[in-house]
Amino acid sequence: MSERFKYREDREAYSAARVRALEALLIKKGIITDRTVDTVLEFFETKMGPFNGAKIVARAWVDPAFKERLVADTPKAIAELDLPDGMAGAEGEHMRAVANAPGVHNLIICTLCSCYPWPVLGLPPYWYKDPTFRSRAAREPRAVLAEFGLPISEDVEVKVWDSSAQIRWFVVPERPAGTEGLSETELEALVTPEAMMGVAVANAA
Amino acid sequence: MLTQFEHFAVTEMLGKPDSPPRANGTLCFGSDWERTSFGIALALAKEGYFEWDDFRDELIASIRTWEDEHPSDHSSWNYYDQFLTALESAVVKTNLLTASELSEFFTLGDQVNQ
Repeated sequence: MSERFKYREDREAYSAARVRALEALLIKKGIITDRTVDTVLEFFETKMGPFNGAKIVARAWVDPAFKERLVADTPKAIAELDLPDGMAGAEGEHMRAVANAPGVHNLIICTLCSCYPWPVLGLPPYWYKDPTFRSRAAREPRAVLAEFGLPISEDVEVKVWDSSAQIRWFVVPERPAGTEGLSETELEALVTPEAMMGVAVANAA
Repeated sequence: MLTQFEHFAVTEMLGKPDSPPRANGTLCFGSDWERTSFGIALALAKEGYFEWDDFRDELIASIRTWEDEHPSDHSSWNYYDQFLTALESAVVKTNLLTASELSEFFTLGDQVNQ
């Protein structure tokens, strides 16, 4: 085992050195700059991703009137927030939020990854595009949710929303109990992509 | 509909053999060199030095080679090892760098770092 571990460490160092050489050479030739990598990855790390969805949900938790506007006209409500451009633009303009409530649990599915609401949820997980997940979630959502560790009691209605090129759904989970004293920023940390897909609920930390 | 190259590039890979590792809605990098490899490839394609689809062909080929060489034991698998191999191949094929420049610079860099 220790041998394999050493092999792995050596290979890490070797790969790291290869990338350093490649980047340095491309910079030396003026093809890229030392800022290029950070600039291109900024898109995933700070502009478009689940952190945006978390901000939207946390605002809905602290401001019931915002939550109402969010469900009634999602792009317009999102535009009220100080989020990166494009959130309510080409990709975001068909976005629709559905809110969980004591008697209702929402689940989103989609056939095509390109229909995933990524400005707010980030990249979809592997299983999301699996045809089995999609068809089973449409047919027997309670059984699928139970497999995700989320049994839904019989008196709660489960609504399944199928995203398409026209409408990309996301879920506003319920605010967890015992979070009354938390700030909006602290609440953001409790919102996971899974909760915004409806395969989990938000939990207090 | 797709307005951003970054979005288009990654979305195209999802559900395909070259789909990148991700967790909690974000790309998942095990270390800095993995992140740098990804960023360089994306930036070069975005700037038009090569087509993203051509790079993906390299990547899929390098993944297939690795799988053929490791038919049963996948314990040494690392997506970004194949990604880096594909990237080196792409920059050489498009004449951005030559293979000898790369190996010279690699050796030189090694000595400087020691």
